[in-house]
Amino acid sequence: MSTGTPPLTNPPKPQTRALNCPQCGAAIVLRSLGHAETVVCSSCHSILDAKDPNLQVLQKFQVATSEVPPLIPLGTRGKLRGTDYEVIGFQRRSIKVEGVRYDWHEYVLFNPYKGTRYLTEYCGHWNDITVCKELPSVGFAQATYLGETYKHFQTADANTNYVLGEFPWQVRVDEHATATDYVSPPRMLSSEKTANEVTWSLGEYTYGTDIWKAFQLPGTPPEPVGVYENQPSPVSDNVKGIWAAFLGFAFLLLIAMAAFDLTSSKGTVFDHSYVFQSGEPKGEASFVTDIFDLAGRTANVEITTSANVDNAWIYLNYALINQDTGQAWDFGREVSYYYGRDSDGSWSEGSQKDSVIVPSVPAGHYYLRIEPEGDSKHPPIGYSVEVKRGVPVFGFFGIAFLALLIPAIVITWRYISFERARWSESDHPPVKIGNSED
Amino acid sequence: MFKKLYLAYGVLVLGGTGVAQYNGWSLDRVNQLKNVPKSVRDNPGSYRSVYGFYHHYTGGK
Repeated sequence: MSTGTPPLTNPPKPQTRALNCPQCGAAIVLRSLGHAETVVCSSCHSILDAKDPNLQVLQKFQVATSEVPPLIPLGTRGKLRGTDYEVIGFQRRSIKVEGVRYDWHEYVLFNPYKGTRYLTEYCGHWNDITVCKELPSVGFAQATYLGETYKHFQTADANTNYVLGEFPWQVRVDEHATATDYVSPPRMLSSEKTANEVTWSLGEYTYGTDIWKAFQLPGTPPEPVGVYENQPSPVSDNVKGIWAAFLGFAFLLLIAMAAFDLTSSKGTVFDHSYVFQSGEPKGEASFVTDIFDLAGRTANVEITTSANVDNAWIYLNYALINQDTGQAWDFGREVSYYYGRDSDGSWSEGSQKDSVIVPSVPAGHYYLRIEPEGDSKHPPIGYSVEVKRGVPVFGFFGIAFLALLIPAIVITWRYISFERARWSESDHPPVKIGNSED
Repeated sequence: MFKKLYLAYGVLVLGGTGVAQYNGWSLDRVNQLKNVPKSVRDNPGSYRSVYGFYHHYTGGK
């Protein structure tokens, strides 16, 4: 964001002052000097007036032994957005929602030329925060700042529970403020309202790994838990684009289907009718057709069997045989059609027509070897066999359509799940949870 | 990134469909054999279909 700021590798030493706590006598280091309003004694937990040469005690608070130390120790220096900063303050704050307390940590960063900025951390989610330079305009459930609209996320009473280091304001433990968050991921606009003032700040979601890298911290940052209010969705930018791409592909698929249907030959190369005499010994029923030509490039062959089966079946063992090469395609097809009426009403099963598509058949002279079988109790069954060359297989287009649709649905579902997880923690949850009357 | 991946995937799907269609592939199950003797034409009964022992569904509710 900013360049040209002198690095803090050789900080202006004269600005650091060592003092002693008037309460316990422990050494106190003031890192930001004139910028600090209050400083906290880390030994006796007294909040001292940093503007007072005698460090007047403003407040003293108790610290639980379970208090978690800052993840970034005070005095740590790092480069954030091209500017060197030093961690000078730390506070733990909390809100209570429906009886559940949520704690987060805030770090005060200082640069003698740039002033202060802040880092917040909640369950592994970090935000880089600066104070707004202009006053945002607030509307119904939204706020606008620098031309960007932010949706209202949550309003809660924030309490300060623990402080450490220096602060450029009059910090107090158990100080309350009404905190309101508006989000436009990855940014977040927050206001803090006390009896005396309203402070607006702008936060940008920052990954823990970037913080660790910036401050050269040992180990790894804590893993983020859940979805944070301004956490950028991994798929949000893609959903509309993917559906636009899907529609484009679907249109191309439709064009391709029409083109293949129009350009495929679909010519009938053989058509003949037969009668199957039931009761003939099996094996002797087999016969071969006349030879027919399959011309052109390698293409599929559709063999359609139509039989006048009436509550009956006929099964045909087919072999499409190349007269010249001896190559054969062997398959069996059943044509059966049953119907009737029972307590559920009329019913029917099967069809009097069946088609099969033999794949990638080269040009040549072919014949069919047919071996029909049927129920010997039924009268003779008439059937016809039609052979077509080069038919479009619409099933491929259906599969392609689904193959294109499924990823688009999955990505959309991921997007919706992410946004639901985000807003479920807000004042505007997507669904009511439990028996709340809110 | 997702969009670029999807675009590449879509092109592959469309291309695959075109290749399948152009080469005359099929979704049906057909058994392919080689070197069927020419005598089958004179004696069709000598050919043994791999589907010859299929147990037929006789239909009906």
